[in-house]
Formats: sequence, structure tokens, C-alpha cells
Amino acid sequence: MEWLIFFILGAWLIISALGTVLAKNPIHVMLFFLSSLLAMAGLFLSLGAELLAGLQLIIYAVAIVVFYVLAITTIPWEKIKRFEGVYKTEILTASPILLVLFLVMSYMVIKGKFAEPSGVVKDNVEAVGRTLFTSYLFPFEVASVILLVAMVGAILLARKEE
Amino acid sequence: MDIIKAYIILSIALFLIGLLGVIVRKNLITVLVSTELMLNGINLALVAADKVLGRVDGQIFAFFVLTVAAAEVAVGLGLIVAIFRLKGYEASHEISQLRD
Repeated sequence: MEWLIFFILGAWLIISALGTVLAKNPIHVMLFFLSSLLAMAGLFLSLGAELLAGLQLIIYAVAIVVFYVLAITTIPWEKIKRFEGVYKTEILTASPILLVLFLVMSYMVIKGKFAEPSGVVKDNVEAVGRTLFTSYLFPFEVASVILLVAMVGAILLARKEE
Repeated sequence: MDIIKAYIILSIALFLIGLLGVIVRKNLITVLVSTELMLNGINLALVAADKVLGRVDGQIFAFFVLTVAAAEVAVGLGLIVAIFRLKGYEASHEISQLRD
């Protein structure tokens, strides 16, 4: 059963990721990306990370995708049709190299030794919250500062010059 | 084969597909979307490792990756819109200078 869910969600994820990379129209790219994010949330659920699946849906699938669509609608696409699509030479050069890289890394993963499963996290959300606000409190604050700086920077960059 | 290895292989595939997108796409916004795919692959590997170890630290790292991805999207889209306003083009091979 676990393998069945893995194969369905994994095939969905790989197909929508390939669609994201190879689709021509930017709106189709965004739709494929949204589909891959949904598959990703399903994979997180099947791995037992419920909080992260919810955050994936809330932050990525709603906030970031809406942001991308907003930026796409800002730019007049009919003027820059020639920038759609992929570079032909680069895709012919890069895909064999990346395929070889994938095979080598998969071989290393299959042949390598993994740690034995040690302990199960029972209440996922509670455990994540407790660890986040005790051991990782300082990185949490740093992350909030990063978000603030990014917000100020985005406002400064996208502002129209007077 | 253990199912965790299958998850790690899936995350490697997702990362390399995102890398392919960064290399071959012409449009800057789709290059940014491919970067998001790479970050998603890393998140999948972190959460899978979490399941093996029976801890929650990997999920917290994935949470930070999510935060940094949101910040990166905000700044990156601001840069792209600014470049488009300034120059009127948006393909990665035409942006090869940093000033002027």
C-alpha cells in the first residue's frame, strides 16, 4: 500500500516537474508547478509530516504561486514572445550529463548503508512546535528578520522611479 | 529495497529536473520556478531522512528552506520586474552586464 501511494504520487510529481521545465507558455508552467506542489504535499503526508504538508499548501501553493501569477500579469507577454521556450543546444548538452549524474547518484543511494529506523515521532505537530521554539528559537528569529529584509528589498526594487 | 531509498532517489530526480530547468529555460520567471523545484527536492530528502531517524529536525530545516524560498521569490520577482522596466527584455542570455 505504501509503495502504491509512493508510485502514484511520484509519477505525478515527476510528470508535472517535467511539464514545468518543458512547457512553453508561462501560465502552463505555473499550472504544472502548482500540480507538482500538490503531489509534494501528498508525499509529505505519506511520510508523516502533516504540519509541513499544510505549510506547503498554504505558503507555496497559495502565496508563492499567486505572487508568480501577479508578476506574470505585470509583464506584457505579447511583446516578448521570442523569450518563451528553451535553448536547444543547452538541452541537448545538459540532459545526457544530468542523466548520467542521476544514475550515479541513484547507484550510490541504492548501494549505500542507511541508518536503522530508530524511534517513531508520535504527535508530529506538537513535536515540531516544541523543537522549533526551544532548540531552534534563534534560527526562527533569523528567518523572520530575513523575511522582513526581503520585503523591504522587494518594495524598494519594484517601486517606480519618481 | 527500503522505501526511504526510493524517496531519496525521487528527490534526486526532482533536484536534477530543476537544475535542467535552470540551465535550459529562456525566461527568467521560469528559471526562478525551476529553482523552487530544486528546493522542493531538498525538502523531500530532508523529510525522508527524518522518517528514518525518527526525529523532527529535518522538518524544521525544511520549514527554514520554505521561508528562504519565500524571501527569494519576493526579491527575485522584484529584480525581474525592475530589469524589465529598465531594459524592456527578459531573457537570460541578454542580461550579461551588471551596471549601466
